[in-house]
Amino acid sequence: MSATGIAAPEAPSWPARLLRGIRHDPWSAIAWATVAFMLVFVAWPLAELARQSFIGQESGRFGLENYQTFFGSSYFRRALFNSLTVGVLGTVIALAIGLPLALAFARYDFAGKPWIEVAILLSMLSPPFVGAYAWIMLFGRSGLVTEAARGIGIELPPIYGAFGIALASAFALYPVVFLVVRGGLARVNRTLEDAAASLGRGRIGVVRTVTLPLILPSVLTAALLVFLGIISDFGTPSILGEGERFPVLATLAFSLYLSEIGAEPGMAATTCAVLVVIAMALVVAVRIFSTRRSVADDTGGGAPPIRLQGRAGALLGFGTAVLVAIASTPQIVVTVCSFLEVRGVVFQPVFTLDNFARAIDALGDALWNSLVFAGLALALIILVGSAIGYVIARRTGPLTRTLDLLIMVPYVVPGTVLGIGYATVFNEPPLLLTGTATIIVTVYFVRRLPYMTRASAGIVYQIDRGLEDAARSLGDPPLTGFRRVMAPLMRPGILAGAAIAWVEVFSELSASIVLYTGGTRTLPIAAYQQALSGDVGMAAAYATMLVGVAAAGLVLFVIARGSERERSLGWL
Amino acid sequence: MSVAETRPGPAPHLAAAGLVKRFGSFTALDRVELSAQRGELLTLLGPSGCGKTTLLRVIAGFLQHDEGTLRLAGRSLDGTPPEARNFGMVFQSYAIFPHLSVAENVAYGLRARRVPREAAERKVAAALERVRLGNLGARYPDALSGGQKQRVGLARAMVIEPDLLLMDEPLSNLDAKLRIEMRDEIRRMQRELGITTIYVTHDQEEALAISDRIAVMERGHIRQFATPREVFESPAHAFVAEFVGGCNWLDATLLQDGAGAAARIGAGAAFALPAATRGAEGPARAALRTEDLRLATPEDPPGCCLEGRVGSLAYLGPRTRMRVIIGPGDAAVEADLPSALPLPNEGEPVRLSFEPHRLRVFAPESGVRIA
Repeated sequence: MSATGIAAPEAPSWPARLLRGIRHDPWSAIAWATVAFMLVFVAWPLAELARQSFIGQESGRFGLENYQTFFGSSYFRRALFNSLTVGVLGTVIALAIGLPLALAFARYDFAGKPWIEVAILLSMLSPPFVGAYAWIMLFGRSGLVTEAARGIGIELPPIYGAFGIALASAFALYPVVFLVVRGGLARVNRTLEDAAASLGRGRIGVVRTVTLPLILPSVLTAALLVFLGIISDFGTPSILGEGERFPVLATLAFSLYLSEIGAEPGMAATTCAVLVVIAMALVVAVRIFSTRRSVADDTGGGAPPIRLQGRAGALLGFGTAVLVAIASTPQIVVTVCSFLEVRGVVFQPVFTLDNFARAIDALGDALWNSLVFAGLALALIILVGSAIGYVIARRTGPLTRTLDLLIMVPYVVPGTVLGIGYATVFNEPPLLLTGTATIIVTVYFVRRLPYMTRASAGIVYQIDRGLEDAARSLGDPPLTGFRRVMAPLMRPGILAGAAIAWVEVFSELSASIVLYTGGTRTLPIAAYQQALSGDVGMAAAYATMLVGVAAAGLVLFVIARGSERERSLGWL
Repeated sequence: MSVAETRPGPAPHLAAAGLVKRFGSFTALDRVELSAQRGELLTLLGPSGCGKTTLLRVIAGFLQHDEGTLRLAGRSLDGTPPEARNFGMVFQSYAIFPHLSVAENVAYGLRARRVPREAAERKVAAALERVRLGNLGARYPDALSGGQKQRVGLARAMVIEPDLLLMDEPLSNLDAKLRIEMRDEIRRMQRELGITTIYVTHDQEEALAISDRIAVMERGHIRQFATPREVFESPAHAFVAEFVGGCNWLDATLLQDGAGAAARIGAGAAFALPAATRGAEGPARAALRTEDLRLATPEDPPGCCLEGRVGSLAYLGPRTRMRVIIGPGDAAVEADLPSALPLPNEGEPVRLSFEPHRLRVFAPESGVRIA
């Protein structure tokens, strides 16, 4: 027996002390480094936008001039109104689809449930603007359904504008409601419902007086996420709003910043600021409301779902399947159409790979760029996100809180805003990044890092702290112990977070559309451009490729998770 | 009063002096003095929040103390991180690595020490044999019972031949029967291997059964540090008397009369205290254990006893707990009496007597033992 490694009490120089400090407590060093990074790549661009929003577009003076212009002009006010209208309408529709599904899935087992669940999750694969494009293919001016209806003498109302955008967004985002609310329902203590029933409430009464109030926080969270998703989205309103005809804040900011006629960076910054203020205000409001009505109750989870057999089960299965099928229609239509022959702008009932041939010809570096950028960003997200998630879960204190806050900001800030911020501040030395691949990878990384930190913090919370203490007391320094114990245990959670991050990063459009140049065009940008004003066949082909590659990546993650159990751990 | 024992003999293996640990404005450890001789099993006993786990974690190196010194074999442990202390640790939650097999769990610390593979395998096999898990090396933790997991934890902590073994409520998650079995086994192995051990528990019976010495802790202070017998028989502090064994508490007044010191219980009889008690006068708190009280017989003189009437009776099998209202107000004592005796009924008058030397008297504010 020996007491090893007792440090000699010398007085080392400060770099040596710093190094020893990092070795002894590497997590603080990682946290500080990430805070510094986030200050440069999140706080700075946004602060600069905020500053510019106060510099008059006309006068160049510091003040509220731009805001006066914004709220004084009917055009800007209309964009604001449109954003809010589309946001509210889309959120209502998404809730109308997602809530019944969540209730049905949390409470009942019925015919076809696993398949319907897969279909719901699959519909998260495609970016909203692909759905928007599908709606145009179906209900647009020369859409399949529109033409067919016209053939029998019916003129359908146009899909362009508020209702179309809301509908397309809702169909793309209802899985969020489904997942969040189902998670909330699973945490509701079922004995509370039993108690209400034993006190004489009927089934509907129990849902109204107990279940709904208990899941209200998760419903609100879901509604918030959907609303933020809609008002942040650039692609959908751009495609279904026909550009300038139906402006929303996100598209307006984009066109003000990059207008060919004469960019107005001041007004673009002001529009961004309005958008961010709305988003932040909602987040804060929901946060305050949720904490005030915290109904956390860990005394007992939900009971297992009730198995519905016979007619009731079949009916519920059928109902949910129809709902999901309607929501998945756009994706199916795009995929099928990508294999159809096109004459002019009309699809013919003839299968061909022609669209893909033309699409690949015109692809250039787009697919390769997407794979490289998304792959790099994802690697960084996994590495940094899992480490930071660990720090957030295990350390408390002002540093961690600051870090958490800084990381979550891009979760709320619309991609277009972040993109404009990047283009504004990183266009001169010492950080001349505009036009580079670095800026795209960075914006991908920053935007989707929150998914990873949340997923990894979530799993770290569930891991016994004693395991790390055990590893240290057995002789492993912090990082070694992390590698040997925490990393393997966090793997499933990291993979789950990474899978979501992958899909999101690969189909990122809102920020990269502002930042790309000829050499850094990506697949989503190519798909968006074709959908906006191009070859319908190629647009469908790009959209299919986009979803196909995202899905292929997802399959890899599933395989990686599947092999987990069989993995031989051997002599570590 | 200092409660640390000063014993002759070799220099202590582990010595903590004047340890202070604060969390913000809360003082978790207040000038703690503790020492363990080589091969000793020392228990930190106290209720939750008393600082026993904090003290253990300071010793382990997971927490850094704010003041005082902590020495192992005469050398300071300041600035030595946990991984370099070579202390084995056993956790309440077992903390068995779920992704490693039983053998890999036990081998973990050897691997960190770069022990050659063959030697490590030999040591692992021997350690598993010692905790009677010789045939389960290939199992994964999810296939183990709680008791088996804690055996793995023990084997893992002992296989590295630690300079100190730290056990943080290792048996709290086990059921009552297994707890007794395991504590005997821990004691046996600890003796066999001669590993100096610090054992944390809130279970007084466990502490009494297993320890060479017990440090009873309350609110960051060590109230008494002594052998199990001393802690139980002659508590040095009111808290120790209450926490280890439990007591009836009575308001008393200390008197000095011609014969020496005496304690008057309430407004009733005065009981002579040992001659060693000098000078103390005024209010005090007197403690009597339930098992020290018996029914007085007619031979007991009038001044010897507590008099009252039976408030309630609770049958506990071999013994019956009698609650006796001794007034004024609702002042009461509880006595454990053999159930075989004929006992008075509720409401009837009763006299309880006890050996005077069983009466312990403590200062009312500080809780320090007076007599």
